[in-house]
Formats: sequence, structure tokens, C-alpha cells
Amino acid sequence: MKENNCVSLVVNGKQLKADEGCSILEAVMKSGETVTDNIGCSGQGVCGSCRVLVRRQDEKKIISTLACETKVEEGLQVSFLDHLPVNHRQHVYKTNDWEGKSWNILQRINEVFPEAKHCRHCGGCDNACPKHLEVQKGVNMAAEGDLNAAAIFNECIMCNLCTIACPEMISPNHLGTYVRRLTTAMTLRPSDLLRRLHQIDSGEMTIDLDAEIK
Amino acid sequence: MAGIAYEQALANLRKSDYASPPELTDKQSLLKKYHPDYQEGSTQKLVVGANKGDACPTTLAKLLQSNAPITDADLAGALVINTEVLVVGAGGAGCAAALEVSAAGRKVILATKLRIGDSNTVMAEGGIQAAVGEDDSPQTHYTDTLKAGHLCADKKLVAQLAISAPKTIRWLIEQGMSFDREDTSSLSSKLLRKKPGGATRARILSFKDYTGVEMMRVLREAVELDERIIVWNRCPLVELLSDEDGNCVGGVVYDLSTHRFMLVRASKVILATGGTGRLHLNNFPTSNHYGATADGMVLAYRIGAKLREIDSYQYHPTGVAWPSFRLGGLISEAARSAGAYLVNGEGKRFIDELLPRDIVSSAILRECAEGRGVEREGKVGVFLDVPDLERRNPGILKDRLVSLSHLGKQCDIDLTKEPVMVRPTLHYQNGGVVIDENGMTTVPNLYCVGEMSGGIHGRNRMMGNALQEIITFGRRAGEHAALTANQYPAPKVGLFHLYNWQRELILSNVPTDVYGPILFPEYGNFDFHKEISLRTRTKHSVKSNNDSH
Ligand SMILES: Cc1cc2nc3c(=O)[nH]c(=O)nc-3n(C[C@H](O)[C@H](O)[C@H](O)COP(=O)(O)OP(=O)(O)OC[C@H]3O[C@@H](n4cnc5c(N)ncnc54)[C@H](O)[C@@H]3O)c2cc1C
Ligand code: SF4
Ligand code: SF4
Ligand code: FES
Repeated sequence: MKENNCVSLVVNGKQLKADEGCSILEAVMKSGETVTDNIGCSGQGVCGSCRVLVRRQDEKKIISTLACETKVEEGLQVSFLDHLPVNHRQHVYKTNDWEGKSWNILQRINEVFPEAKHCRHCGGCDNACPKHLEVQKGVNMAAEGDLNAAAIFNECIMCNLCTIACPEMISPNHLGTYVRRLTTAMTLRPSDLLRRLHQIDSGEMTIDLDAEIK
Repeated sequence: MAGIAYEQALANLRKSDYASPPELTDKQSLLKKYHPDYQEGSTQKLVVGANKGDACPTTLAKLLQSNAPITDADLAGALVINTEVLVVGAGGAGCAAALEVSAAGRKVILATKLRIGDSNTVMAEGGIQAAVGEDDSPQTHYTDTLKAGHLCADKKLVAQLAISAPKTIRWLIEQGMSFDREDTSSLSSKLLRKKPGGATRARILSFKDYTGVEMMRVLREAVELDERIIVWNRCPLVELLSDEDGNCVGGVVYDLSTHRFMLVRASKVILATGGTGRLHLNNFPTSNHYGATADGMVLAYRIGAKLREIDSYQYHPTGVAWPSFRLGGLISEAARSAGAYLVNGEGKRFIDELLPRDIVSSAILRECAEGRGVEREGKVGVFLDVPDLERRNPGILKDRLVSLSHLGKQCDIDLTKEPVMVRPTLHYQNGGVVIDENGMTTVPNLYCVGEMSGGIHGRNRMMGNALQEIITFGRRAGEHAALTANQYPAPKVGLFHLYNWQRELILSNVPTDVYGPILFPEYGNFDFHKEISLRTRTKHSVKSNNDSH
């Protein structure tokens, strides 16, 4: 029952009371629970460790979100999620994976992430993403060798919710990170950085520890 | 503390002419009067350990002089694991170190308290310093850093930082970390540079305003894909291991999932456990992640490492002052370096926004203390005028200050119309464990890197130097440890250093029933000492049950 500015909710099967305006994560801490997991940045919404499934009162739909960014509500049902699905498949690669094979990038992507081309367009990943990224689009672009997929995952916090949601075990976020990392490692060559590295390596630029400080 | 009511302050702001703030003539007395580090009664002198006689914040002193929650008896029957290098803490510094140890072909275990990546590193927004600009040089980076730190940093460390910085950026790009460019359509475009507060050149490189997210997701992936690195999540270090000569020979780790101790015998130990924010020194809110409770520093001190500048902390000027559920959360300096003004309740700018952080923070605390702050629901702060910034640079919120826009959404504030209320937040530990250029401490075989180490920032850190430090010194420590590690662990490992420590505590009349490190902040409702005494009790009761059968 709702009291003055106080709501009750259920977290992992336990009934809690909490002040309106506080986040689910805060409510759990204030309730006296021991908190040693599913927490990191505690509110900034960038570490992706406080993943929860929530269901609002009188709603059927279950949504996945971050407990540190979601405010408590009367009748909210919350379950914290474990970090990875049991049969999560590791997609192994090295950062020099594309070296000398840049015309075969499409093949390489498909070899490392063979599931990517089996996307069912079910939208599971899009629905799961607490950052509302166009995950499915990113996956499909990557599977076609379109490296612009990288930008879709700019704001991905690696919460793994899309990986849990994907029935094809595609690991969308890891695919996104793969494309991001390799594109950068292969192509980013800023001219000012190159020049400075050269100046330092050739001994043209050094540091004088005793230079006068004005 | 009271201030000008929010609505009134908002009206004053709308009428503001944004005249330049009065020039600051006496920085020292502003700091003395308002910076929390200088407040009387907030520190006490340490009476045991390598820094005996040095002043240190009271809350931290209690932990630095605490007793170990474990004894030899707890270790009987613990799992014993051998490795060449043990790295503790999986933020940026720990991951960089582990990657280098692995690259050198050594066996490495990376043990971390939360999950890999749950750290201050992932939270960093503004960027990372490296002198790549034509108008800039490592020498200028060196000078700026020393000056911002009030000339008391270790010159050799600062020089190492400045000269390595461009190479560090190259390494990060090789790992796949992306950086903003001046011209996004060109692959060899110059890097986009911003000016950190207190610097003479634009030297901050960044990825949007979530540089830490980009850095950490790349490092995390690199570590997790490296089959030679063994990652232990939810495994805090609770004590270091020593031999009879006081050398560090490994660590005791507690597995939070299985509730058991693991003894890691290691030839070299690299601590990278980060900062102190969650100790809430002087009752300040903090921008730090949940695990920033000074554990590594407490353990390093107990085994004999020397510390420096532990009375110097950074209170970041722009922490969220309202609403309370985001209290202390960071608003990156990116907003001020892009030109956002700080305005008091009277609608006036009161300080040059780009002066060093300690000065800007002190000025905000002065405005609040003298009644010119803004008050809303009992919280007092000043305005960071984001709407004005957006007016002068249409689209900047959407394109460049993405994290700030996100914060606006979290707090239900339309930042194109409404300013945010800010107040200083405990942000960074300037000092820490004394190290050399390879991250080595004064204790044989023990390295410390990242925020828990000291000497690079003097008494004030410039924006962007922490991210640079963790990678530069994390890598150096990793390389050095790998090069010098012995394949065979020490024959005799134990808690030898504890016997001396406990004797010292008793001789100095320090209570021996205060235990540390605390591992989690108070509101995490975790008491390690209780947890292990429960373990012992359950063990006994199980035993007596068996006996009776
Ligand atoms: C909000 C915010 C914004 C920032 N912005 C910037 C910026 O723009 N530029 C910049 O240069 N700096 C910035 N900083 C500072 C910078 O991010 C940190 O100083 C730096 O990331 C620290 O890195 P680290 O590896 O030393 O520690 P962390 O990244 O904090 O990692 C510490 C690790 O140690 C683990 N740990 C702690 N205790 C134990 C234990 N007992 N046993 C095992 N593991 C343990 C933690 O779980 C964590 O994984 C910012 C900091 C914050 C909080
Ligand atoms: S893309 Fe996946 S991992 Fe990234 S934020 Fe969205 S759900 Fe989380
Ligand atoms: S969840 Fe998997 S299968 Fe479904 S749309 Fe996303 S990537 Fe495709
Ligand atoms: S605690 Fe980091 S995203 Fe919620």
C-alpha cells in the first residue's frame, strides 16, 4: 500500500519499502540488504552491472533496464540478472585479425561471429537494450561487412543484456566491439600523433627535468 | 547552510549579464579558508607505520591503522594457487598491467572485487592528456602538471608520464580504442584537443564525453579474450602475504561467491585497486564507483609501504547538488572547458571557470558558505549554466556533451532550458603509495599503480592526467614485473608482517578491534569480520553435529 511518499516493491522475491524518487539500487541498499554484486558506477549508468528485469504494476510486459537509473514505483517487481547466460559462446580474435586481409573483412567477421548472419530479426536485442541503441541494425550491417556498424555501438556499456536476449547466440555487443576495435586499430592514424611519436623516438623531443618553471 | 531560493535564483540567472568574474588575487587564502583539505580537525597524525607523524584525514587514518580481520587460523585449509604475477583490481591500471604481463609470456591472475571493469575508469568522461599538438610538447605537459600540483610532485614520475603519453595513446589505439578527430571524414585527421583546467595548451584527447566507457570496454574485451590472463571476479584482496624478511610474496583473496579464502603465492604483486572516494571524507558525497574504499592503500601500508600526500584530495567543482538520488555524481569538466559558466544565486559569475579544480571548488564552497548559493529542497549549490552554453553553441549538448544530456534525462531536467545545480564532490585521491618509474614501492616485489599510487599529481591533479597515468604506469609495472618475476614462488609464505604490525598497534595504544580494509561502503551492509566469524561458527556447528552422530 502506498504511504506518504513511500512505495512498496518486490526485489528478488522480497518485499521492500522505499522512498519515492530513489532508484531501485538505492532502495535495495537502504533496505539493509548486503550489496556486493550487481553494482559499480552506482548511478552514472555506464558500467552495466546492475541489470534487472522489471514489471510494472498491472502491466504484463517485462522490460530489462538498469537498477541504478530506474526509480522505484508502487508495485514494481524486480529481479536482478546474473551476468552471462550459461552457454555464452566466446568469440575469439586478435586485434591484428584483419592485418593483410583487409579485403576479406567480411569473411573474417563471419568466421569470428558465424551466427551473425543468422539474425532472425526478432528485435530481442533492441528491446533489451537499456541505452536504446539500434542493436539489430548494427548486427545486420556488421554481418554484411558494413563497418559503419561501429558507430551504432558508440554508447554501448557492455551490459550484455542483448547477448542474453539473442536466441541465435550472436552476442551483438561483442560483435559491435569487435568491429569498433578492429576498425580503429587498423585505420586510425592521426597525423599529429604520428609526428609527435617520431619526434620522441628520434630524440628530437626530450624532457629537461631541471628547466626553470615560471 | 542556507542559500537563495531556487525560483529566485533562477529569476536572477535569467537577468544575468554574465560579466567576467572578479579577478582572484589571493589564491592561497581562498584555499586555506574553504578547501576541505585545510579544515581544522579533519585530519589526525598517524602513530604507526612508515608515515608515523604525518597528517591524514581521520576516516582514512582509522583504516590505515586498522588490524587485519584474518589470522593464520583462517588460512588453514585455504586453497593455495601459484602464479608468477598477481594483479589486483580490474580498472584501467590493473587491466593494462595484466595485458603486459601476459604479453611477456608470464602467468598472471587478475583478481578484482567487483566485476572486471566496474571501476572509476569506466566512469571517466572528460578525456586523457597527451601532448600531441604542434603548439605543445612533453616538456610543456611536464611543466603544467608540476605547476598544477603546487610543485610538489615527483619530477621523475611526471617526466615519465609526459614523455610516454603519446606512446600510450598509440598503444590504446592498437588495442582498438577510438578517439575524436578534428575532421571526422579523414583517417589521418589530427586528434580533437581540449584544454584542461590549469593547463597552458589544449591537450585533452577524448572519445565524446564518455572516454572511460570507450577505454574500459576495449581493455575489458582485450583482457577477457586473452587466454593467458586468469580473471577472478568478486574476489577482493583482503591481506598481502609476506615472508620472514618482510618481502611481499602474494596475497589472500576472498571469493565472495563461494565464501572461501584463496592463498595466491606470487613472485610479484601489482596493486591497482583505485581510490578513496567511497570513504566519504569530511562527509562529502562522491563521484566514485562503489568499490573505491582505499583497500589497496590500507594493505600496502600495513606491509610497510610508504605513502605520500595522503592529506590531499580532489574535490571536483561540479558534482550534482540536486536531486538527491544523483548527489555527488560527476558533471565532467568538458562542460566548463566548452565554455559553460558557473553562476551564483545572485546571477553572477564568481570565478574563472577554468582555473585549477581546487580553486574553483573552494570558490563554490565560499559562495555557498556566504549565502550566495542556490537552495532547493534543502540542498545548496550554484548553477552550471548549460542552457546558456547551448544557446551560444547550438547542438553542443546533443553532439558533444552526451553524458551531460543523459544526466539531464535521469534528473528530469531539460538542459536546454534549465541549469543544473552543482557543488564540489569528493573525486580523486591526489597522493598514495610512493612508487618509482616502474611502479615499484618501498616493499620488495610489491608494485602499486593507478589512483592508489602517489607522486604524479602533487597536491592537485589536472583533468586527463589520471587516465594517462593508469595506462602508462600500469603498463610499465606489468612489463617490469614480468621481466623480473621468478617462476618459482617463495618457499615460505605467511602473515609475518602482521606480527610486527599488531605489536606496533598495541604499543601505540591503537585499538586492535578496528578491522580493515572495509571492502564496501557502510551502506553496503557488508561486514567482513562478521562474515568470516559466521563462517567459522558454521564450520564449528557442522563439526559438532557430525560429532554427535
Ligand atoms: C566520475 C569520474 C570521472 C573521471 N573523469 C576523468 C577524466 O576525464 N580524465 C581522467 O584522467 N581521469 C578521470 N577520472 C579519474 C580516473 O578515472 C581514475 O583515477 C582512474 O580511472 C583510476 O584507475 P585505476 O585503475 O587506478 O582504478 P579504478 O579504475 O577505480 O579500478 C580499481 C579496481 O580495483 C578494484 N578493487 C578495489 N578494491 C579491491 C580489493 N580489495 N581487491 C580487489 N580489487 C579491488 C575495483 O573493483 C576496481 O576494479 C574520473 C573519475 C571519476 C570517478
Ligand atoms: S548494445 Fe547490448 S551490451 Fe550494449 S548497451 Fe545495449 S544491451 Fe547493453
Ligand atoms: S536478438 Fe539476435 S536474432 Fe534477434 S534481432 Fe537481435 S541479433 Fe537478431
Ligand atoms: S551501477 Fe553501473 S550501470 Fe548501474
